[in-house]
Amino acid sequence: MNIALLVAVPLGLAFASILHKKLAPVLLLIGSLFVLVGLSFTEYGETVIGGFDAPYGIHLLLDHYRLIGLYIVNILFFVVIIMNIKTYQKMATVLLVSLAGLNGLMMTGDLFNLFVFLEITGISAYIITSTNKHPLASFQYLVAGTLGSSLYLFGLILLYAMFGSLNLADLASQITLLEDKTLVLLPFLLMFLGFGVEVKLLPLNSWVKGILSSANTLSGPMIASVYAAAMSLVFGRILHDLFIFEGRFQILVSVILLVSILAGEAMAYQTRKVKEILLYSSIAQAGLVVLLFVSGLATWALFLVMANAISKMILFMVIAEATKNQDDELDSLRGLFAKNKVIGLGFTIASLSVIGLPAFMGFVVKMHALEFLFAEQLYLSILAILLASVVEGIYFVRMLLELWAPSEYRFTFPVKMQYILLVLALILVFFGLTIEPLQALIEGIESTLQGGILWQV
Amino acid sequence: MKKFLSIVFVLILGGLIINHLASNNLIPRFGDVVLTDRVSDAYIDRDVNGGDEDVAFGESEDLESGAANTVTAIVADYRSFDTLGEVTVLFVSSLGVALLLGQSKRRIGLEFKPNFMLKIGSRALFAIILMTGVYVILHGHLTPGGGFPGGVMIASSMLLLYLADDEFRAKMRGFKVLESMMGLLYIALGLIALFISGVFLENFMDNGTLGTLFSAGMIPLVYSIIGLKVGSEISSVIDHFLSEEGAS
Amino acid sequence: MIQIAGILLMMLGLYGILTNRNIIKIIVSLNILEIGLNIFIISIGFVRAGEAPLFSSEAKSNALVFVDPLPQALVLTAIVIGVGTTALGLAFAKQIYAKYQTFELDEMGEE
Repeated sequence: MNIALLVAVPLGLAFASILHKKLAPVLLLIGSLFVLVGLSFTEYGETVIGGFDAPYGIHLLLDHYRLIGLYIVNILFFVVIIMNIKTYQKMATVLLVSLAGLNGLMMTGDLFNLFVFLEITGISAYIITSTNKHPLASFQYLVAGTLGSSLYLFGLILLYAMFGSLNLADLASQITLLEDKTLVLLPFLLMFLGFGVEVKLLPLNSWVKGILSSANTLSGPMIASVYAAAMSLVFGRILHDLFIFEGRFQILVSVILLVSILAGEAMAYQTRKVKEILLYSSIAQAGLVVLLFVSGLATWALFLVMANAISKMILFMVIAEATKNQDDELDSLRGLFAKNKVIGLGFTIASLSVIGLPAFMGFVVKMHALEFLFAEQLYLSILAILLASVVEGIYFVRMLLELWAPSEYRFTFPVKMQYILLVLALILVFFGLTIEPLQALIEGIESTLQGGILWQV
Repeated sequence: MKKFLSIVFVLILGGLIINHLASNNLIPRFGDVVLTDRVSDAYIDRDVNGGDEDVAFGESEDLESGAANTVTAIVADYRSFDTLGEVTVLFVSSLGVALLLGQSKRRIGLEFKPNFMLKIGSRALFAIILMTGVYVILHGHLTPGGGFPGGVMIASSMLLLYLADDEFRAKMRGFKVLESMMGLLYIALGLIALFISGVFLENFMDNGTLGTLFSAGMIPLVYSIIGLKVGSEISSVIDHFLSEEGAS
Repeated sequence: MIQIAGILLMMLGLYGILTNRNIIKIIVSLNILEIGLNIFIISIGFVRAGEAPLFSSEAKSNALVFVDPLPQALVLTAIVIGVGTTALGLAFAKQIYAKYQTFELDEMGEE
């Protein structure tokens, strides 16, 4: 199956769905299912669009890394949709466009095409967050996102001015041949800042607090899980293909990221509102993911993205549902799980995975990452990660203790939510206990990423 | 304090950029670009897929991309996937405006009431602006312009009607159907190309002689689709901004 | 030169976004940023004494020197995307006004 259909079909369905409002949610389900089923019929390789070979035309690529990313994003997207399809019917068309945009974002091999898809997904995200009924936060997200895209475009144009091409593979091979790598420093900085807005890096993440602190069951999981996964994976791919570093420069970038991780964890520690705890934890985890990419551990960064996306989906979905009609102070949610054991179990597994306790996926990923960092002698990173994990442990356990406290709190979660989230949580346990599926994937991914370049400053 | 920090940050960033531009010897000085270093050379020569014929206005037949306007050839032929994305951006923005501003029943009252001469005179002007927009769209492959500016011109003719008459409201239903049909047509063209030649969005129609009105294969068709879509979307945005809730 | 003007506009827009306290002014600053960026992109493609990249009765063959058409095509897309985001931003502004009765960030009291 031509992978262009993964973008064209949701887009076509989106155009059709505005004709008949009642039919739009059905088309949304059809589109999402089509993409999920279609993914299993795709083959690795390049697909040319428009009949002109790269670097003159645009082509879409599929390889191990991208395929895993597509599966993660599309499965989680499907989960979000089936939980929310009854309550947010008006958003169906926007969600279809967002689906097309996310798929295109992950598959494209052309930098300007990436900018266009970044804007498509961005604008859909701004509209999705408008369901929070907090227009000021959505507006600030819009300004930050547009600013980020403009910076990214600026960096991209500088690369075009230097090398004359917009194609990712072409630029990567030309940058490898460069003698003086500091010439790409400014484009790198601009693209880093630009993408950093979407990936929630400090100091560009002021929009996150506004959006996720009033999240509902649609916008919360969508922004914190689906979008976070897609953006981190694309960002990591660009960083890996175009710019990898060693030496002093890596230390500098790592320090900035470490500050961001620790600041995120510190903010999560000192708040008593559950949504704020989760969003600051997301910020810290995003910093960790970028740190792994920057240190050359792209494969384990991919797995960390996967673990985080699943965990945050569960965490945000549960909390958003529970706080639908009340505030999210920890004290007012006391004893939430006393009568909701299934949901509580899923939530607990997800939290423990984020902290990195053994038997969960988070632990496996962190262990291997720390192993590699130790081999590279990046002791500062190791120290910071361990410190962050300890702080995480403290505030998550504190939260869990409150939520499991015995009480007469009455709240019923929808049945399908209980079981779907439990299935997702079991995935985390599965990958935590058996490492073989991951091992098999690792070889495939590493061979894809071999084309990466190492350079020193 | 915040202003001071911002000024410092902005000045440093601007200085960094200008310094980089001056010192980076891979970036050509302003005006000294050598086109053969860049991909654009192949776009101008219309030989992206190989071949080495001369391109001559009014003479070359069935070129790789038959549009005389090279920028159009890039936007609608070589990189038409980007254009599809751009059309989607406008689509989702106009959808967002419609979702956010909700059901609008009546026009917002203007402070200055337009008089009779304005209302009638604007209709004549409306026709002229509309014709200009259509001209720009249809000649997109020969002269600068194309679907996007032409579509916006059509929308601006609607804006004129809205501003000149504070009772005027166009039929939103018609615009919605037009927008949806045009979008589906664009995707359908891409899918037809997929069936015919196995490549999404390939230009499968005959490219004609360079410089004539009926040339460049699919491009005038694509531009007409885009022009109508953009026109209807921006008109719908205008309508939403100039209306509010309330009894009609 | 033009490139310095483009960068100056971008920095002005950036400063505006960072320091303005009025919603509409922030949107205007965003637009100034985008305009500066577009000017800069077009300036990347300039070739001295080049023709417009258009085959016409005055510019008949491809042996002439043309300016770079690719940045122009990129700017076409970027301008349209800017229009889209501005429209959405103004819709948000209208909602903000409906909720808070003001456009000043300081009077909104929440952020």
